[in-house]
Amino acid sequence: MNKKLSRRTLLRGAGALMALPLLERMVVPGTARAAEALPTAKRLAVFYVPNGIHMAKWTPSGTGATWELTPTLQPLAPVKSDVLVISGLANDAGRPDGDGHHAAGTAALLSCTKAFKTEGTDFHAGISMDQVIANHLAQQKATRYPSLELGNDAGRGIGNCDSGYACPYANNISWAGPRTPMAKEARPKAVFDRLFAGVDPGTTQAQVAKRRAYGLSIIDFVREDATALQKQLGTTDRRKLDEYFTSVRDLEKQVDAMGQQGPACGVQVSPGEDEDPRTKTKAMMDLIVLAFQCDLTRVATFMMANARSNKVYGFLGLSGGHHAYSHHQFVQSNFDALARIDRWEVEQYAYLVRQLKELKDATGASLLDSSLVYFTSEIEDGNAHIHRNLPVLLAGKGGGTVATDRHLRAPGVPIANLYISMMRAMGVPNVTSFGADGTGELVGFGG
Amino acid sequence: MRWLAGAGCILLLAGCKGDSLPRARVLPGEDNPHAQDNECKDAPKDPGRVTLHRLNRAEYDATVRDLLGDTTRPARDFPTDDHGYGFDNNADVLSMSPLLLEKYSTAAEKLVETAWSNGHLRTCALDAVNPEPCARDILSRFARRAWRRPVTTEEVDRLLRALTLARQQGDPPEVGVKLALRSVLVSPHFLFRVEKDPEPGATTPRRLDDFELASRLSYFLWSSMPDEVLLQAAEQGKLRTPEELEAQVRRMLADPKAQALVSNFAGQWLFTRALESAEPDPTLYGAFNEPLRKAMRQETELVFQEFITGDHKLRDLMDVPFTYVNDVLATHYGLPPPGSATPKRVDLAGHPERQGIFGHGSLLTVTSNPDRTSPVQRGVWVLEQLLCSAPPPPPPNVEGLPPPVNPHMTMKERMAMHRSLPQCQGCHLMMDPLGLALENYDPIGRWRLNEVSGAPVDATGDLPDGTVLNGGADMRRFVKDDPKLPACLTEHLLTYALGRGMADEDRCAVKEMAATAEASGGRLSDYILAIVLSDHFTSRRGAPEAQSP
Repeated sequence: MNKKLSRRTLLRGAGALMALPLLERMVVPGTARAAEALPTAKRLAVFYVPNGIHMAKWTPSGTGATWELTPTLQPLAPVKSDVLVISGLANDAGRPDGDGHHAAGTAALLSCTKAFKTEGTDFHAGISMDQVIANHLAQQKATRYPSLELGNDAGRGIGNCDSGYACPYANNISWAGPRTPMAKEARPKAVFDRLFAGVDPGTTQAQVAKRRAYGLSIIDFVREDATALQKQLGTTDRRKLDEYFTSVRDLEKQVDAMGQQGPACGVQVSPGEDEDPRTKTKAMMDLIVLAFQCDLTRVATFMMANARSNKVYGFLGLSGGHHAYSHHQFVQSNFDALARIDRWEVEQYAYLVRQLKELKDATGASLLDSSLVYFTSEIEDGNAHIHRNLPVLLAGKGGGTVATDRHLRAPGVPIANLYISMMRAMGVPNVTSFGADGTGELVGFGG
Repeated sequence: MRWLAGAGCILLLAGCKGDSLPRARVLPGEDNPHAQDNECKDAPKDPGRVTLHRLNRAEYDATVRDLLGDTTRPARDFPTDDHGYGFDNNADVLSMSPLLLEKYSTAAEKLVETAWSNGHLRTCALDAVNPEPCARDILSRFARRAWRRPVTTEEVDRLLRALTLARQQGDPPEVGVKLALRSVLVSPHFLFRVEKDPEPGATTPRRLDDFELASRLSYFLWSSMPDEVLLQAAEQGKLRTPEELEAQVRRMLADPKAQALVSNFAGQWLFTRALESAEPDPTLYGAFNEPLRKAMRQETELVFQEFITGDHKLRDLMDVPFTYVNDVLATHYGLPPPGSATPKRVDLAGHPERQGIFGHGSLLTVTSNPDRTSPVQRGVWVLEQLLCSAPPPPPPNVEGLPPPVNPHMTMKERMAMHRSLPQCQGCHLMMDPLGLALENYDPIGRWRLNEVSGAPVDATGDLPDGTVLNGGADMRRFVKDDPKLPACLTEHLLTYALGRGMADEDRCAVKEMAATAEASGGRLSDYILAIVLSDHFTSRRGAPEAQSP
C-alpha cells in the first residue's frame, strides 16, 4: 500500500481547522462503508471540567419538568429539551486521606473508587464506568477503537500533582483497571492522524490480508517475548508486563479487524497545532463527533484540563488561574470569574451536544437520541472541596432510557447509581453494583 | 522521603494554608536526627528495587536517535508520560496502555522504513535465494543494540521466522527483515529496561549484570541507550570495577548526550519545564513574551550545563557569579546587554542580585501566580527541592491570602495577617521568610523596589529562630549553608537516577552518598559518581510476593 499517496489524499487541505459543518464535509466514495448509513447504536461521551462549579449560578430553581436555565446553563438553550440536570449526587470515594481532593476526586470521578494515597509506588484506584462500557462494546467488535481518551492538558511535568497523590490520579478519568489509567491524547492533530492517516481507500482485500498477517506476526513475536520474560520478574514488574499483555491483546483485535471496517466516512481536514483553549477544545469536540460519525468508536472521554488546573482564561478577560479562583474565599470577584469560566465550559459542552444532535443515523434519527453526553467535575465547591452535590448534566436520550428536559434532585445519592443506570442504558447487562457505593439504578433516571 | 531536621519544624502544627501551594506533601512523623544517625550505623544495606521501567518519551526519542539516526522525535505523538516523585522517568507511574502500544507499533513501522531506505541497517546484501546469512547478521546486530544486551541464537531464529512469512506472502526477503526489525522495536525488551529477578522472592541484594548496569548508566546520564564503547565494556565484564565505572561516567559526562541531564533532570528539579506553560497576567506583566520565555529557559539550562563538566561545587548553584543572557534578558534584568541575540556568558561580580538560581527569571516566574508574587510558592520550592523538608499541606477549609485591607499593604503585611491565624502559623513560619526574602523580584523576575500598589518592597524574612534574612543575598547564603542541602540534592538526583521514589529505608544510603560526594569535592560529577558507585545503583533485590488489592 502506498502510504504516502493515501496520506496525501486523505489530508487534502491539511493544516486548516475542521471548520466545515459536518453535513458539508466531503465524502469520498470507495471507502468500505462510505455509502453505508451510520448504524443505530448507543454512544457515550464524557466531558470533564476541573475545579468544580460555582453552584449559585448553576443549579436550576425548579424541579422535574418545571425548570429554567440558569445563567451558567444558558448556552444549553438550543438543546434544553435534550438535557437532564441532576443535583445532589455524591461521590464520597473521591474524598482523600488528608488533602488531595482534586486528584482523589478525579481518580474516583468515573470509578467511584478511593485512590490509594501515594506519589507513585503501588498507585491504584478502580475501573471507570466508561471502560466497563467500552469492554462491553468491544465484545461485539463494533468499532476499531474500544474508546478514545482526549484532553487539552499535557501537564506541566514538574513537581507533585496534588498533595501526595500520584499524577496518574490527577491526569486520568478513564481507567481500564485499578492500576491502568488510559493515557489520553492532548494533541488534536495526533488524534486525527491516528484515526485517519494510513487508511488507504484504494487498498485491495489481498493487500489488507497481507498487512493483517504481518501485523499479527509482530504481535505473536512480542507476546512470546513477554511470556518468556514474565517468569523472570517479580510481582511489581509482572504487573507492568500485564499492562503490556493487555495492550497487546487490544492491538491484536485492531489488527485482526483491519479492513473489515475502514472509516465509514470520507475525507476530513486535519486540525492544526493550536494551544488556544477555544480552538483546541473545538478541535477535540469535532474529533469526538467525527469518531462517532465514522463509527470508529462509541465511547469517548474528554478532560478540559487536568485536575487542579491553574489555567489562565485570558480570553474571558481573566488574569488569575482557574484553581486560584476556585479558592474563592467568598469574594464576589472570584465568584464572577468562576461563573465566567463555568459558562464557557458549558458552551463547549453545548457545542458537542448540538453537533451530535445534527448527525443522523440509518433510521434518520438524531445521534443524540441514542447517545449519552455526560458533564461533571471532581468536586462541587472549590473552596471547601465538597464531594457532594456534584454538578451533573446528561444530554441525549440513551435510546429512550433517559427522560430529558428535567431537573432531577437526588440529594446524597451515590453518583455510582447514576453510572449503573448509564451502564445499563448503554447495554451492559447485569450491573447491580459499582464502585465503593453503587447499589442500584438511580431512581428517576428514566422519568 | 521527607525528614524534617530543623528543630523549629518539629513543633509545627499539622496544618497551614498557603495562597496556592503547588506541591505540598504528607510527611512521616516526628524526626529526631540523632536517633537516626545511630540507626544508620547498623542499618541493613538495602538497595531497594526499581520497577520494570518503560522508556518515557524523552528516552524513546533519544534511543531511536542513537539506534537509527532518527531525529524526528516520534514520541511527540505519544501521550504525555505521567510523573511521580517529581520526575517523569518514575517507573511506577510509567504505565503501558493500548493507545501507547498502538503508537509504538506505528512508530516502529515508520522508523524501520526510513532507516532502511537510508541504508542504515543494511550491513550486507540480502541474497534472493539464500537471504538467511545476511538477515541473521542484520538482525543480530540490530537486536543487540536495541535490546542493549547480547541476543541468543534462539532469539534470532525466532526473528528469522519473518522471512518465511514474507516468502509465503510472495514478498522479497527484505520485507521479512523489515518485519523482524519492527518486532524488535515493539518487543518488551526494547520498550522496557529489563532487570531480571532470577529469584523474584529473594530479598538478598544481587549485583546487576553488566548490561543492566550499562543501561542504568546510559539512561541516567544520557536518557538513552548505551553506546558501542559502553556495550563493549559490559561485554568484557569491565564495569565491575569502580575505576572503569568512574572512567565511563567521566567519558559520558563529557559527551554532548549528557545534555539530557539538563533538559530531563534539571528541567524538572529546577522547574524550568513549567516555564512553557507559565501565563503571567498580560495587563500587569505584559513585558513577558516568547523571546523572554526562551531566554529565561536558556539561561538556567546553560548555567546548569556548566555544572555538568565544570569545576563548580553543586551548592554554588545558589550564588554562582556568572550567568547567560542575551540582549532581551539582560535588558529585562537591568544588566548591560551583551550585544547578542544568543545567550552570552556574563560575569555578575557587579550584580549580586542576579547571582545564583534565585536570580533566574525562570524560577522566579514559575513560582509566582499570574498576577502577583507568591512567597509561599517560592518558599515551598526551596524547602522541597533544596532542603527536602516540605511543610504538610494546608488543612481543608482555611482561607488563603486575604485581600489587602488598604491598597498600600505590602505582601509581607498581608502574609502576616494570614499567618496570625493559629492554624496557619506553624508552617508559614518556615515557608514565608524564604519567599519573602525574594520580594525584590517581581512575578516575571524583574528587580523592583516597589510593589504594584506602590508600597515599598519589604524583602525581609524572619526565621523562627529570630534570624532575619535581609533580601536575596542573605537568603541564598542561608540555603547554601543549610546542612540538609547535600542530602537533599542527593535525594533528587538519586530519585532521577533510579527512576523510583525514595522511602525511609533509603535515608541512610542517601546520607552516605551525600557525604561521599561532598568529601570528593561536592561537584555535580562527585554526586553522580557517589550515586553510580553505590549499592543502590549497582544492585537490586527481589520482593516477597505482595498481596494484590
